[in-house]
Amino acid sequence: MPILVVTLGVMLTVFLHAYVVGFMGDTIEMNARFNNGHVKLMTRAYAANMDQSPNDLALLGVDSLMAHLNREYPGIAWSPRIRFGGLVDAPDENGETKAQGTALGMGIDLLTPGTPEPLRLNLEKSLVRGHMPQQNGEVLLSETFSQKLKVSPGDQVTLIGSTMEGGMAMVNFIVAGTLSFGVEIMDRGTILADLTDVQSALQMPDGASEINGYFHSGFYDDEQATSLAATFNDALKENPDEFAPLLMPLRQQGGMGTYVTMIDTWSGYISLVFILAMSLVLWNAGLLGGLRRYGEVGVRLAMGEEKTHVYGTMIVESVFIGLVGSVIGTALGLAFSWILQEYGINISGMMKGASVMFPDKIRARITPQDFYLGFIPGLFSTVLGTLLSGVGIFKRQTARLFKELEA
Amino acid sequence: MRTKRVKLLILAGVLLAGMVQAQDAMVILEKVDRNMSSDNRVMESSMTVHGKRSSRTITSRSWGEGTKKAFTEYLSPASEKGTKMLKLEGQLWIYSPSTDRVIQISGHMLRQPVMGSDLSYEDMMDDRKLSDVYTAKVSGEENVGDRRAWVMELTAKVTDIAYYRQKLWVDQERFIPLKQDLYARGGQLLKRTEMGDVRQVQGRWFPFTVLYKDMLKQGGGTEFKVTTIRFNDKIPDYIFTKAALKQ
Amino acid sequence: MRLAIKLAWRNLIGAGLRTWLNVIVLSFSFVIIIWMKGIMTGWDHQAKTDMTNWEIGGGQIWHAEYDPYDPMTLNDAHGPVPEALAQGVESGALMPVLIVQGTIYPEGRMVPVAVRGVDPGQTILQLPAHRLDTVTDAIPALIGTQMAHTTRLKAGDRMILRWRDIHGTFDAREMEIVEIFSCTVPTADAGQIYIPLETLREMTLLNGETTLFTFRNEDTAVTVPEGWTLKTKKELTRQVDELIQTKSAGQSVLFGVLLLLAMLAIFDTQVLSIFRRQKEIGTYIALGYTRGEVVGLFTVEGSMHAVMAAMLATAYGLPFLLWQAKEGWTMPLDTSQFGMAIAQTLYPVYTVGLVISTILIVLMTTAIVSYWPSRRIARMNPTEALRGRLQ
Repeated sequence: MPILVVTLGVMLTVFLHAYVVGFMGDTIEMNARFNNGHVKLMTRAYAANMDQSPNDLALLGVDSLMAHLNREYPGIAWSPRIRFGGLVDAPDENGETKAQGTALGMGIDLLTPGTPEPLRLNLEKSLVRGHMPQQNGEVLLSETFSQKLKVSPGDQVTLIGSTMEGGMAMVNFIVAGTLSFGVEIMDRGTILADLTDVQSALQMPDGASEINGYFHSGFYDDEQATSLAATFNDALKENPDEFAPLLMPLRQQGGMGTYVTMIDTWSGYISLVFILAMSLVLWNAGLLGGLRRYGEVGVRLAMGEEKTHVYGTMIVESVFIGLVGSVIGTALGLAFSWILQEYGINISGMMKGASVMFPDKIRARITPQDFYLGFIPGLFSTVLGTLLSGVGIFKRQTARLFKELEA
Repeated sequence: MRTKRVKLLILAGVLLAGMVQAQDAMVILEKVDRNMSSDNRVMESSMTVHGKRSSRTITSRSWGEGTKKAFTEYLSPASEKGTKMLKLEGQLWIYSPSTDRVIQISGHMLRQPVMGSDLSYEDMMDDRKLSDVYTAKVSGEENVGDRRAWVMELTAKVTDIAYYRQKLWVDQERFIPLKQDLYARGGQLLKRTEMGDVRQVQGRWFPFTVLYKDMLKQGGGTEFKVTTIRFNDKIPDYIFTKAALKQ
Repeated sequence: MRLAIKLAWRNLIGAGLRTWLNVIVLSFSFVIIIWMKGIMTGWDHQAKTDMTNWEIGGGQIWHAEYDPYDPMTLNDAHGPVPEALAQGVESGALMPVLIVQGTIYPEGRMVPVAVRGVDPGQTILQLPAHRLDTVTDAIPALIGTQMAHTTRLKAGDRMILRWRDIHGTFDAREMEIVEIFSCTVPTADAGQIYIPLETLREMTLLNGETTLFTFRNEDTAVTVPEGWTLKTKKELTRQVDELIQTKSAGQSVLFGVLLLLAMLAIFDTQVLSIFRRQKEIGTYIALGYTRGEVVGLFTVEGSMHAVMAAMLATAYGLPFLLWQAKEGWTMPLDTSQFGMAIAQTLYPVYTVGLVISTILIVLMTTAIVSYWPSRRIARMNPTEALRGRLQ
């Protein structure tokens, strides 16, 4: 019984911490996936005006950059992307303009076998009509946009944009499928195409607006991202070229920095309160455990055992209980957290008009702290409880303790 | 006594200038129009855009008739080759060979820059004669390079015009503009155009190079060079049809 | 019943530290649930209030062509003040805003902006529009902190603004940033420049024209003229609702775990008391109590934890919660760059419903958890129990 209580308590603590970190960090991850990456590589000139997505300042030599990044930073998945704006024109049967609309587009890796991008952006699940692009020349449009253009999967559309050098780009695409993002600005006019298609359309051979880096853990690690970026940029400090690459952690992009700090603070507060509460509960459990055994203690004293010895063994036992409970509890807590990290709780039922930017699932996130955090209430509080309840041994008469056995 | 004479001289000068303005400003402008526009012309030219990172040159051949009809075919670089543009009565169509589609450029798209240059489609579209849309007065004389020029102040007399006011430096002998400043209604200088390499073609003077520069923005500007130009050639009518775009 | 309560009280007080630990943990549940829910309600309230104060007032009427997500529509999204609304504008119940596309050139960089013409005498929004009355030879302009940050502009800076009038004629003039305001509503800040309405109308030759109207009061009764669309406050704040919903859903798991924790302690305590007090139970039954009554006694004793916790929570929680409501909870960071309307200091808002429902939930859960182990009593053999035999 005492081990069970400690186990349960520790499990809850560990699980809760993982949950808070995951729940609070969700917004960061959504932003990372769609915009910021955990780290983002750009040219210095692009970074200075990044809110305007100036493709004339884009990265070039992406293949060799990618090779370098993959070699030097194997712990990070690198994904080049191109952001662009333009006009999408849908033809009627005579090839004349049927409808036209302004579009915001993104070129991402959709076609390489095993590409992580569609999953990262949750594209397959957001598909409304049609299918994912399976070959070059196929694109995805947001559903609302496709209705505005009066096109369906299988239809042709023309993208009119501007090339990296400012020339006019006109390319035909086949609509493979349509997507629902649930965010008005994206639903109105989004076009997603394979990176290679966008590279050739906008005449950016071997070019990309940005290369986003994602930690394999799937979670933003501020410390790691910041130090990674600092080292990377430091190495290029002497390079005067304004088109030299610059690595920027999520924290330094847009308003994300304040958000990262806020989440750290919140999770800190919440975890602190819970660990405190948990400690009190387990302390209480330790007290109860001690009380349960007053009878046994009476017998042992009657049989001539030293009070200090009894007290000592009780503490040793409680250390053992605390330790075993903490280990099992941590293991169980981690297991539950892991399930929640992998599968998440679906909250879309609780929400009207769920959307991509507000995740429909709450996920836990296991961090290194989870491996030792549970020991604070599990071990220390349990032992503390026993220490205090054991004091009773010294205060009471052996006879009374013996009577407790009967009671 | 001496100062009085100077004053008189100045007064005479001002009066003289006033007379020149009254009589000649519109005449000068009409002469400029006659040089710059023609019933029809066939031209090959190159446009160099100085970007932040690189410069690139686009060559094209164009046919023009009056001020309402124009047809342009891009020759190089490879990425633009075969792209064609047709302008008819204020409407603009673009054909791109890679998509085999003709798309009308309208609305706000007309305000986008052409091929990354400092010119918008709209700038390119509006080639009404200066004398039709501006009133003019001569405000002085200046040298532009080694050429003597009238300095002319142009003010819009129509409302649907991109630049309310212009300052135009006109070669006093050849009646072609050498320099052109485009102003906002409030007086802010927006764009500057400088003409050079003036040659005589079929009896008329024509600037073979034009440099456009957006004065508010950083950047190297756009350079326009005429390679060959012929006036009053016979241009077949089918050139100015949408069907010609797809050929 | 009175006896039961009295007994329970005596027993609990007698248990000393153990009881207090349970009560403290339970009282945490009260205070934290109420506080966190209060913060959420407060946030919802603040986000909507800020949107009301900085952008949407009591709702808006838009020109049919107006689309805030497509700046290209601004060319056509304006019209003369419709007759039906003229009265409202006159009386100050409606505030006309004209929005035009423009470009600013701070240090030769080209930045597209939406130029908003507002009445410097307006009192519907908190926007410091009166500062637009500053006498300057340039166009006086207000921008928000976020805009100032992205464009690297400071108060007193001058730059060229270029725009087109109704005929498409370019115009450009120098503009002076007279003040940088700080607001938590990104759509009222990012990419927006505020100048006096009449100046903008003159500049664009759009005399008397408007893009949208903002209501002073939510319940203003108007007939929406043709060519205009009504956007109620509810529609305009939909995104806030969605965000709060997500956050609340995530929070409920937190509360669940917190309660579970407290219940673990209560449960443990109950099991032990029943285990150690079998003699007492036997005595009750011998005295003629029915088993149900004895179960009730123990349930009351367990539930008493919650009552004591509520009292304790009132003792230290009430001052804390009141202090929070008054002083607000200031996030230890700069929130000016958020994507959502969120203020640096959140003032929790506690509703009566929130407090009552929290108390009820905690009380009921405690009662159930107290009752659960007590059921064993019903299965006890009274004579054995009386003798203190373990069963």
